[in-house]
Amino acid sequence: MTSSGVLVARGVRKSYGDVHVLDRFDLEVPAGCTFALLGPSGCGKTTLLRLLAGFEAADGGTVTVDGEPVLGPSRRRGMVSQAGALFPWLNVRQNIGFGPREHGDPDRDRIVADLLAVTGLTDFAKSLPRHLSGGMRQRAAIAQVLANRPPLLLLDEPFGALDAQTRLRMHEWVRGVLAERTTTTVLVTHDVDEALLLGDRLGILSARPARLVSERALAFGEKRGRHTLSDPAFVALKAEVLDEVLAGR
Amino acid sequence: MDTLYLGERVDTFAGVVPYRGAGWLHLSASLSRCGWSWAYAVVIGTVIGLGLGASKWVAALFEPLANGLRAVPLFAWLPLAIVQLGIGEKPARVLIFIGALWPIVVATSDSVARVPRAQLETACMLGTPRRRLWRRIYLPSALPEIVTGLRLSLILAWTCVIVGELSGTSRGVGAMMNAARESGRTDQIIVGIITFAVVGYLGDRVLRTLVRPVIRWSES
Repeated sequence: MTSSGVLVARGVRKSYGDVHVLDRFDLEVPAGCTFALLGPSGCGKTTLLRLLAGFEAADGGTVTVDGEPVLGPSRRRGMVSQAGALFPWLNVRQNIGFGPREHGDPDRDRIVADLLAVTGLTDFAKSLPRHLSGGMRQRAAIAQVLANRPPLLLLDEPFGALDAQTRLRMHEWVRGVLAERTTTTVLVTHDVDEALLLGDRLGILSARPARLVSERALAFGEKRGRHTLSDPAFVALKAEVLDEVLAGR
Repeated sequence: MDTLYLGERVDTFAGVVPYRGAGWLHLSASLSRCGWSWAYAVVIGTVIGLGLGASKWVAALFEPLANGLRAVPLFAWLPLAIVQLGIGEKPARVLIFIGALWPIVVATSDSVARVPRAQLETACMLGTPRRRLWRRIYLPSALPEIVTGLRLSLILAWTCVIVGELSGTSRGVGAMMNAARESGRTDQIIVGIITFAVVGYLGDRVLRTLVRPVIRWSES
């Protein structure tokens, strides 16, 4: 079976006690697509990503990647969260090389060197995570996951803890990194700019229990960046999307 | 100060000088006893702590027992150790072992239980098999707190030497102090106290220096 990263969720349900977080949730993400999911705070975005990653089991429904059911965490699905999860006792090089080392990838050194260059962290290869800035830490966390070359990348508000300027730089960087790869990506965020700048498709979630209430393609071209923020089409769509998200509360 | 009045007038330093040769024998006996008992406590305490910290099932079963035993004063073990193991080396080592064990158990189990779930999930996601999580995540993540437990345990092991040596050993700093008490040799008692202080301090410094490279990442 080829590893293209086609993600399909059908009728997914998840509750914590009496709190219904997801109810008959459906999602389909084609291979290589960056699918941005926007939703109000507390609607179940993180729970959804944890289910897709295999960190939690659904109460009902199915999640498959390339036709294989998601039954637990796997190196074929990489997730990066807001806090990141770099190992504090390992330096940047060791953190990025952690996955390839675990499965004895013979290309480990080359992969790590490439990702250090892509992230601009070559000069910080021997630094511990606590010596990095927030933006550098997130770049290292994304590189750590990409080192395994997963067909599916899950980003859970990965830049939520960064300041506005760093976040914008990170958007441009991630957009470039994803454009060079065929990784299918699901990004959940509550930041409309982020969703519109990074997504190929945009889905809007309802308030809890989350359901996908609308879905559309985003066509701002490959070279999206800070200049896109002032594009009239972008501004108009942002207002429309914002209305839709707020109406879903 | 040349003399000291503690119940009787004693020329402190004059009392110590002729004692030097025997003093080394006592010190080396105590160090050996403490070292062996502490080493056993480190191995067994770490294993128990890892089990209690990593498994809720093991913790539910054994934690009440461990907490109960931890509360038993070392002096309460002394008669049992003497009755069961006789007088001499064995009960001394066992008593030091018991005193050193609990800080390691508590520090290890607490630190392992507090390993961030995100780190475990990330490791699983990156391909670490469950059996390897111990080496890759639990131990390195918990190590700074385990080291704190080891330092506390080493100091406690050293302070327990005096209790252990009350079980009838003929050599050791504690045995020397016990004999000095019976013969009213305040000078030797003071030498024993100073020896405990200096050796305890140096032992902690040596341990801290040895483990520093592996926990440097956690230093603020």
